[in-house]
Amino acid sequence: MLQTIIPLLVDALANAALIFFVAVGLTLVFSVLRILNVAHGSLYSIGAYVAASVGLWIVAAGLPEWLTFPALLLSAAFVALLFGPLIEKTLVRWTYDKSEAVQVLVTFGLFLILEDLQRMVFGVQSVYQDTPMSLLGISQIGGIVYLNYQLLLIALAIVVLIALKVFIAYSRTGKLLAAVVADREVSQAMGIDTGKMFVIAFTIGVFLAALGGALATPTSGVSPGLGAETMVLAFAVAAVGGLGQVEGAALASIIVAMAKVLAIYFAPALDAVAPYLVMLVVLIVRPYGLFGSGATRRI
Amino acid sequence: MLEVKELSVEIAGVQVLRELGFSLRAGVCTVLIGRNGAGKTTTLRAIMGLLLRQKGSIYLDGKPVHDLPSHARAELGIGYSPEDRRLIGEFSIEDNILLPALALNMSAGERKRRLEEVYELLPELRKLRQRPGGGVSGGQGKMVALGRALMVADKVLFLDEPFQGLAPALALEYARTLSKLREHRPDIALLVTESSPKLLDEIADETLQIERGVLTAA
Repeated sequence: MLQTIIPLLVDALANAALIFFVAVGLTLVFSVLRILNVAHGSLYSIGAYVAASVGLWIVAAGLPEWLTFPALLLSAAFVALLFGPLIEKTLVRWTYDKSEAVQVLVTFGLFLILEDLQRMVFGVQSVYQDTPMSLLGISQIGGIVYLNYQLLLIALAIVVLIALKVFIAYSRTGKLLAAVVADREVSQAMGIDTGKMFVIAFTIGVFLAALGGALATPTSGVSPGLGAETMVLAFAVAAVGGLGQVEGAALASIIVAMAKVLAIYFAPALDAVAPYLVMLVVLIVRPYGLFGSGATRRI
Repeated sequence: MLEVKELSVEIAGVQVLRELGFSLRAGVCTVLIGRNGAGKTTTLRAIMGLLLRQKGSIYLDGKPVHDLPSHARAELGIGYSPEDRRLIGEFSIEDNILLPALALNMSAGERKRRLEEVYELLPELRKLRQRPGGGVSGGQGKMVALGRALMVADKVLFLDEPFQGLAPALALEYARTLSKLREHRPDIALLVTESSPKLLDEIADETLQIERGVLTAA
């Protein structure tokens, strides 16, 4: 029994970790900017492509293989610093005073552009780069085999969750972000440069998406269409957790990933729909998500 | 100190302010009186840069501020206490008061000096400082919003209907605090809005009357 449950659990949690990075970024951007960034998934796949390309280059150039680990992180940082300020300052900023329909259309347009851009730059072939995973190898505890890389993913998700909470609660920028989320107008009147806060939040959001993508490459590679798939999943998680909720995103990632993995193990035909079935059930019971409420938005 | 010229504001197609012009002087308490919907709050929000103006100009110490973003106006020393308090519910009272200091990146020494000054003027806030922003009464909230505005109000202080909804005892205390504030900071230019003129008789040096977005002779 344990022989089945534990690998299933590890699989689900590792999956949840990847979804969490994307969903928490989405939810953070939404709560600060009040914009649902439909192109968020594309930044996940761009992070994946960049990380895979850098990893392949490191191996091809004969550099030490352990460099592929920092490369994952640096790839995500590179994508965030390149695309975060660029997208926020050009496209997204222009939509702040527009209706939600315009915001969704603009970010959807951006999504289409980014998807094509990826095909142009990285081609339409799948890219695999699993050096970090094979370097870490496996471990065997109590007769059960674990992929160490999966355990690393779970640990990293916990680190990111705690780091985000600490950042928001104790750092200057985090507190200012929380104030902007709670009351944008008063924040401005009290001296907060909200424009700057929007760039910061958006860039952190892009970083988290790109980090999720970068960390996903060693286990699953990257191919066209990944962005769309991830985006829909991230939306499901953000909706289940309650938009704007960091812990909500964490718990919802686990629930959604669990549904997906259970489906893969026991009802493979339902693999694609399982996350949305869960979403449906949660939203029927709690329309604002597990941690959400209609009136307040928090980060 | 603060000069407003021909300020016009439109909200959702409705003309709310029409060519408003007045000036506030250092050490003078000006009261802006008008019924609900006359445009008092809009006047303050427009001067704070929270609303887009159609036309008009605003000068602080002779320098134009009307094109500056809201946060830059706060940085120049304009403090604002909104009518509905607008505290950050998850922050403690002290963090609410300190928000402008954090936003404007004041040094630790400066932050402490200003906070002490606020506590000196509003001693009850010291007792409340650990409480969450969402956990104080409406009247206490007004005091907190005043304290928060004072953190930045080096030159101008806007109080939007501070007496609205205050119990008589609290209103008296608030008025006393304002007198104390004026002794303590004699060079501040104060603008208080109110719907009933008699509440502010004692502290008003000058009175402006607003009716449907137009200043009328008081």
